[in-house]
Amino acid sequence: MTSFLQQLFNGLVSGSFYALLALGLAVIFGMLRVVNFAHGALYMLGAFGAVVLGDDAGLGFWWALLLVPAALAVAGMAMERLLVQRLTALDPLYNFLLTFGIALVCQDLLRMKYGSHSRPYDRAPFGGTVDLGLFDYPRYQVFVLAVSVVVCVAVWLLLTRTRIGTVVRASTERPELTRAFGIDTRRWVTPVFGFGVALAGLAGVLAAPMRAVNSDMGADLIITVFAVVVIGGLGSVFGSVVAGFAIGMIQALGNLYVPVLSQTSVYLLMAVVLLVRPAGLFGKEEHA
Amino acid sequence: MKRRLTMGVAAAAVGTLLAACGAGGPGSGGGKISGGKLTLGVLTDLSGVYADLAGNGAVAAVQMAADDYRKKYGDKAVTQKIDVIKADHQNKPEVANTQAREMYERKGADAIFDVPTSSAALAVETVAAQQKKLYFNTGAATTELAGKSCNAYTYEWAYDSYMLAHGTGTQVTQQGGKNWYLIYPDYAFGQDMQAKFTPAIEGAGGRVVAKDPTPFPSDNYSTFLLKAPTLNPKPDVLGALQAGGDLANVVKQYDQFKVKDKGVKLAIGLLFDSDIKAIGADKLAGTMFTTAWFWNLDDRSRAWAQRFQKITGKLPTFDQAADYSAATAYLEAVQKAGTDKAASVSKVLDGMPLDDFFARNATVRAADHRVVHDAYLAKVKAPSEATQDGDYTELVRTIPAAQAFDKPSPDCHLG
Amino acid sequence: MLDIEGMSARYGEATALDGASLTVGAGEVVTLVGRNGAGKTTLLRCVMGLHRPAAGRVALEGRDITAAPAHRRARLGLGYVPDDRGIYAGLSVEENLTLPPVAAGSAWPLARVYETFPVLAARRRFPGGRLSGGEQQMLALARVLRAGARVLLCDEPTEGLAPVTVRQIGDILRGAKEHGVAVLLVEQNLRFATTVADRHYLLAQGRVVEALDNRDVKQREDELLAHLGL
Repeated sequence: MTSFLQQLFNGLVSGSFYALLALGLAVIFGMLRVVNFAHGALYMLGAFGAVVLGDDAGLGFWWALLLVPAALAVAGMAMERLLVQRLTALDPLYNFLLTFGIALVCQDLLRMKYGSHSRPYDRAPFGGTVDLGLFDYPRYQVFVLAVSVVVCVAVWLLLTRTRIGTVVRASTERPELTRAFGIDTRRWVTPVFGFGVALAGLAGVLAAPMRAVNSDMGADLIITVFAVVVIGGLGSVFGSVVAGFAIGMIQALGNLYVPVLSQTSVYLLMAVVLLVRPAGLFGKEEHA
Repeated sequence: MKRRLTMGVAAAAVGTLLAACGAGGPGSGGGKISGGKLTLGVLTDLSGVYADLAGNGAVAAVQMAADDYRKKYGDKAVTQKIDVIKADHQNKPEVANTQAREMYERKGADAIFDVPTSSAALAVETVAAQQKKLYFNTGAATTELAGKSCNAYTYEWAYDSYMLAHGTGTQVTQQGGKNWYLIYPDYAFGQDMQAKFTPAIEGAGGRVVAKDPTPFPSDNYSTFLLKAPTLNPKPDVLGALQAGGDLANVVKQYDQFKVKDKGVKLAIGLLFDSDIKAIGADKLAGTMFTTAWFWNLDDRSRAWAQRFQKITGKLPTFDQAADYSAATAYLEAVQKAGTDKAASVSKVLDGMPLDDFFARNATVRAADHRVVHDAYLAKVKAPSEATQDGDYTELVRTIPAAQAFDKPSPDCHLG
Repeated sequence: MLDIEGMSARYGEATALDGASLTVGAGEVVTLVGRNGAGKTTLLRCVMGLHRPAAGRVALEGRDITAAPAHRRARLGLGYVPDDRGIYAGLSVEENLTLPPVAAGSAWPLARVYETFPVLAARRRFPGGRLSGGEQQMLALARVLRAGARVLLCDEPTEGLAPVTVRQIGDILRGAKEHGVAVLLVEQNLRFATTVADRHYLLAQGRVVEALDNRDVKQREDELLAHLGL
């Protein structure tokens, strides 16, 4: 029983990353109808940002947690303004290729500068473990879970309890109609894109102390995150977060009880969901 | 106009002169070098996870061997024309297959070097046999290359999973780490490592309490790190057989989960200097591992490493050192055979004793084309003990060549 | 109030509108009748700024808005009730109502909306997707009235609704008209059209082929129904 609960907890921690990344993807997809294939690379940039701030500027983890997502938000907004926006009127395939290309360029630039090996990060806060009653757990990883939950809840409140949230949800559901109601949706697109990117950067900074920081870290992870987004329902913020934590737990349980399935379980689940509910667990059928 | 003519004549004269030298040079064997030149192909990972430990450093090492050979023999060399070419196999067997074909067939490569990733190396081994050209593996760990897949054209120069397992597994067990918990990445390399570690540990009187395959690649090892101290009997050693980024994940999380404080030490299957740099020597200090070579081994090694560093700006890994050793041995054998015909070069190599800065007390075993040489049980130095940047490795014990590698496999029939 | 001149529009190669012109005066309800594919919905979308016309101009209260983006037009007083009612399934009734920014002084306060549409008051916290068709139609109309629209563009508001709801919608439109709101109504239900509208335009193949008054429509009902394929 203890080990079962441990696994669930492990799953929540890795689910924290899935949820943060899927949340950013969902917000961006909702507002722009763009699947941001650069999301994994932006996560990777977040982690590298923490490492570089530490190595070159001597700034610790907390500074990184503050500065890196902010810097990436700015970069994301520039990317949206200068590149993504020019292609939104065309077939979505163009933005797929654009963002995929941006991901590859980011990865290769970092590989040229830092090589393909991981970079050490020695500014992790919270050494030691914390007693959770039934078992000990690394204090830092508990912190990661807490941050992820707080951020997801905060985004949820922002979306459901504020005027901005209403506008974003309306634009997500019916972008064209929302313009007909006097709302300049384009004004919101750039900040929302920047916000989604900042979430990826935040996840990256959180990953630096506990995961290998290298140019491939995002590419490996993002495949699972795309599956999470599809399972949760493309563009469904709530679905992305729920599916993120759920997939984390399913993988962790798989690791322990059915190792053969631990990697494939996500894709099996995705296949089943697509067959039974093509719009995802919490997704809505697209309006024509 | 006149000037151009003069230059043309001069060029022609120089050309004739050079050709005369090449053809008339002693020991050259005349036209026995196909195309009048040697082409050494380096098929490696230029962009992926192994690019730092092999990659352009491997190309540089082979180039150094070619330059040293030319300098050593001068006009006595069979040929002064040695091209070093490179290609990226992206760690994919199908890419390795086509690139190897391209190198042998179109680019006229006489031999291919390096090739990290076992599945890619096995693909190149097959192509080498079909093309009847030589292949010197330094980058891949699987014992299958000199086992059931072996052939007359392929040589194993650096290391294999048996060497890693019997170095680390046997030694650590004998030093008191009786109970092991093995975690291995669930693909060819990891499965092969696991299959070698288990008998090594049991042979030394230890016991594998549990072994778990881990997803590949993975960034979350919490399942296994939480499980380790709860096993019954409690393991003394966590044997992590991951590589590259996966290994960095394991070690970072091993550190966070305080598994060491719970009495489970860490032993690592395959550890390159580049891994230590990636993870941080402080997190790895004291960790035991087995290596085919390290640059700070002794003066001979350091001398070569410094030359390598001057060219590439980086310290060499054992894979790159093995590339130099293999390319040098190949060129020496061509010199002796007087031809680049694979069968004749092979005849010189087979059974040849070797002693260079990389391969100590070494023999090119004729039975399976494995080079047996001394290996080293080592541990990671604490950063405070390092004499310079990149000094990570401390020798614990030299494993003599005869013990370091397995006997020739009964499955191997060089044909 | 609303002047449309020589409006042409295409979808790719297909011509949807071919120089349609019409006007709607303040406090006037005008219907647009025509068979499927005649270009009625396209006309409304062009007026709203959701479809870029190939030619023609639109003026609102004498002001040329042909180049204005959709959100500007809404703020100038155009209120759109699309054929699928345009209810946000994920937004509550109240969020649906308050989404459009208030465009003019004639906007209804929320209290008045709830007084007029008690059914919406009762369901203000419901997600829009859970309302019935009739309730959604009420919400769609209430939404543009609350925003203070002075010209309503309504695309088949009675389609598929029960007679009692259709009557209610008639009341709402007549009420709006009394307050000087102009309504351009796409409608297939001729009986209903004659109860609310002052004039009618018959649209065929993207052109206005006839202007009719209520008497014309009543007299020629059979002929018109045959033309509409009903």
